[in-house]
Amino acid sequence: MQWLLDAGVVAVRVILPLYAAVIVYAVFASMRRHRRPQKPLLTLKNLQTGEKIPVLFWENSLGRSRGSDIRVDDPAVSRNHCVLLRRQEGWMITDVGSKSGTFVNGDRVLSNVSTAENSFIKNLISDTKKNIKNGLRAVDDSSKYRTMVLIGDELRIGSTYFSVQRGDSFDGEIRSNRFLKKVSNKASMQQYKLMILITIFHVLMGVEATWDYYHNDITPFIYCGVFTAISWTVFFLSTVVMKRTNFELEALGLFLTGTGLMLQVRQSDKMAIMHIVTAIVGIIGFIIIVKLLENPDFVQRFRYWGMIAAIGLLGVNLVFGSVQYGAANWISIGGISVQPSEFVKILYILVGAGTLDALMTSHNKLEFIIFSAICVGELALMGDFGTGLIFFSTFLFVAFMRSGDIKTVLAALITASVGGASIVKLKPYIAKRFSVVGHSLEDPNNVGFQMSRVLTYTASGGLFGVGIGNGYLKYLFASESDLVFGIVCEELGILVGFILFGAILLLPIYAKDIATRSRSTFYSISAVCAAGLLIVQTALNVLGSTDILPMTGVTFPFVSAGGSSMIACWGLLAFIKAADERTYSQKRA
Amino acid sequence: MKRTLRRSMMVMVVVVLIAGGAGYLSYRIVTEHNSWINMPYNNHILSEGGLTRAGSIMDRNGTVLARSVGGQRVYHEDENVRRALLHVVGDDSVNIGTSMQTLYRTKLTGYSFVWGLGLPTSLKSKSDIKLTVDADVCKKVYEAFNGQNGACIIYNYDTGEILCDVSTPAYDPNAPPTITEENEDKYEGVYVDNVVGSSYTPGSVFKLVTAAAALKYIDDIDTRQWYCEGVKNVGGTGKSAQVHCNDGYAHGTETLSDALGNSCNIVFAELADELGADKMTKVAEDMGINTNISIGDITVKKGHYDVKDADMNQLAWSGVGQFTDLVNPMQMAVICSAIANGGKPVMPRLIDSGSDLLSRVSIAIGGGKGKQMMDQTVAEKLGDMMRRNVTAFYGEGVFNSELEVAAKTGTGEIVLQGNGERTNRNNAWIVGYCKSTEHPYAFAVVVTNVDGYGATYAQPIASLALQACMDAEK
Repeated sequence: MQWLLDAGVVAVRVILPLYAAVIVYAVFASMRRHRRPQKPLLTLKNLQTGEKIPVLFWENSLGRSRGSDIRVDDPAVSRNHCVLLRRQEGWMITDVGSKSGTFVNGDRVLSNVSTAENSFIKNLISDTKKNIKNGLRAVDDSSKYRTMVLIGDELRIGSTYFSVQRGDSFDGEIRSNRFLKKVSNKASMQQYKLMILITIFHVLMGVEATWDYYHNDITPFIYCGVFTAISWTVFFLSTVVMKRTNFELEALGLFLTGTGLMLQVRQSDKMAIMHIVTAIVGIIGFIIIVKLLENPDFVQRFRYWGMIAAIGLLGVNLVFGSVQYGAANWISIGGISVQPSEFVKILYILVGAGTLDALMTSHNKLEFIIFSAICVGELALMGDFGTGLIFFSTFLFVAFMRSGDIKTVLAALITASVGGASIVKLKPYIAKRFSVVGHSLEDPNNVGFQMSRVLTYTASGGLFGVGIGNGYLKYLFASESDLVFGIVCEELGILVGFILFGAILLLPIYAKDIATRSRSTFYSISAVCAAGLLIVQTALNVLGSTDILPMTGVTFPFVSAGGSSMIACWGLLAFIKAADERTYSQKRA
Repeated sequence: MKRTLRRSMMVMVVVVLIAGGAGYLSYRIVTEHNSWINMPYNNHILSEGGLTRAGSIMDRNGTVLARSVGGQRVYHEDENVRRALLHVVGDDSVNIGTSMQTLYRTKLTGYSFVWGLGLPTSLKSKSDIKLTVDADVCKKVYEAFNGQNGACIIYNYDTGEILCDVSTPAYDPNAPPTITEENEDKYEGVYVDNVVGSSYTPGSVFKLVTAAAALKYIDDIDTRQWYCEGVKNVGGTGKSAQVHCNDGYAHGTETLSDALGNSCNIVFAELADELGADKMTKVAEDMGINTNISIGDITVKKGHYDVKDADMNQLAWSGVGQFTDLVNPMQMAVICSAIANGGKPVMPRLIDSGSDLLSRVSIAIGGGKGKQMMDQTVAEKLGDMMRRNVTAFYGEGVFNSELEVAAKTGTGEIVLQGNGERTNRNNAWIVGYCKSTEHPYAFAVVVTNVDGYGATYAQPIASLALQACMDAEK
């Protein structure tokens, strides 16, 4: 009879990776569904030539330059002339500093470029002054420069006249992008079915965790049950109460969080409870952030507060932080240790993103660079190398997404490598981490200690793993966070390890694909950067613990044992959620 | 918005880089998983999950040498069997690198790339290893060593099956010693299987190589005669260039065959000089002295023959198995197998091709034909001379005459490492094979660090071992 039982548990082990692949596929396949058809939102009719131009996006730049969403080939038009954008209240237009001006029914509209031709430094000083002043009053309202545009209005841009018409008056062909081509409205999988799949996955993990040794111990199922209840509550809130059509991102987050939880159930009850509690806090945070982001202009006003909070939080951390696991990035509040740097990630992206009209007139690139340098500098002082690296790469994403300026990126990279080299020189223990890469197994009892164990136990797990709770890697210090990829590979198998890795890696692809379907560049930028941050963090976790990159001690999003990082990951996921235009369009009854 | 889309391609660059890293990781997993598994800290193979779930190891008759029962690794009940086969079977540790339990630890425990180490015992296909050795023979041979250090290898030169593989000193795997500074001398080399892992000064057994070279290159060698006065200057002048025969004994008029039987140092010293460094080296290397042969996955320690920078006297001494010459017992047995097989040896193997383990994993078990070591005519002449050694010189009585033993003894003066000075301690050798088609055994026995000759120390063990093999096959 023993072999029958054994065959059962092995069958579960084989099913899990296949199942995980199906879930990840279903999540991402479903993201294409319930899209509005690729139709113009508005049509601009050139009154001189009679040409009809489709307006495809929620925010459109008009100008003579090639990169403009609507290119107006008229010498009187500036390269970046104006921005036509859609908000809850209707269509609006903002002039972004054109020479010849923008007119609605003959009236010149406001330009959001305030002062004229000052020197760069003067501009910066006056901007910063104004920003601080505005920040203290919590307003940086670019929306006050906007002018309403109605159907039938006449626009004059430079010397070109347009009449504003309905979207359906455009009768040409529109080339749509790969991701959104041939999108049907039928879900590849009903959302509730996806949730059932995920629940069964976690139950199977519970079965595996209970099977081998603890014949009478059913605590894994208790955790599984609690988490399932949470998942379905969130699902109910989202679909029934908030009437959202789509649930894939939450489903992915719940899938990964639950998988992380079920890895904990045979390790430590304290950790498992912590995982659940922080997941709840994270999900609440997620819901709040998604709600807050509904109006990007509203959020934009708080940019300067965000900056102040970020620098302040890290500063408080720097002053009051206690050293844990080698970096002083923890502060203890009433007995609970938190990592402020995790929450600063959310603020950082919030500060970095911007609506199109704000972006097109923002000449204070330096402001963001200085802000970033302060953040990274504070992290460096704390000795938190891993988070510093994550912030730095996020800075690169944000800087490039805002300005498209490759020179800034290269300059930052050079500065960072020079700075990095000097840090490596100053801190020999970091240099050691670099030198051991690729050679961890040659020195398995010293600097290569953690990595060599990860490699050995990864291989020991084989493709399907040794079963939950049967691994040895979990006995290593901090393995449940920093080395969790190794635990997944050892206990669930290399296949599941790579599928989870792949699931995170697909997030930026999705974020990029919906970039033009977002309701504002604010969303596109924040989603792409949040996804970028998540993959950089995942890569540092996975490749750092497997002897391919230096070990930096960062977490695997959602899967690593809960804590500040769990909350932050849900917060970051909210940015991607908000970027999806379906999020705020309610289900039609 | 279009600009934002275009700029977001930057994140795709990062995705591609990371995917590349993931690809590299999977490449490393596929190519390096075996070495990752075999780490001394891997609890899956070392703790209760390790050997205690491993397959059994049996001898050629199915006698269980090691098995796992009730969460314990249990070895053969007879202590001398355990000691005799320590180096072949291994113990719980991974100290004995060439033993089955170290070499195939992960395979015995049922490791596979697909299933890792996690498959429940009941579902593992059997991972038993059946060896070609005979436990009884090995036990008798171990007892015959009687506390002396050395090695004995006997294998079937038709099939390649190793019947006897004993290395001393050995310890009881049930009570492995804790080696400290006080007792390290006693246990020196205890983790090395001397059969495959040690090389020794060969002394006169090396004359087989010199004889093979002479038979190959010297045209009138069959008719040539020498006169031995017991002492002669070879390759130099003065007392330091003297070559002595054993205790200065004068052998008188001799043919090559007589000289091999008498083990006349002077004749072989002169032959080495006459042949010169190049021809000697060529023949020694054809016979594999300077190369690593392997027994399946076990790499045999290579011997040493290097006369590049030797003067004529040193070259002369190299021809009688002194100077810096070193050979390994397994290598010598393979050379004997070559002589028995017309110049092309059948290589030895330790694992029976019927082992369960082989149905699941692919491991090199060895055996099969080796490469040509000498011409057939040379092999035949050498074989006849070795047979004559026994019949005309050592005395047929020392071996069972049914075996028709052909052999060569040797007494290698142990040369100190470093300064090359000779000592008065010897390695006593005998190597050879049985011409009997009923009992096709090739063998090599060495007893190290003794004050005496191959004929006194090694030959009785060989005789007993061959008799034991013969008895075992009845």
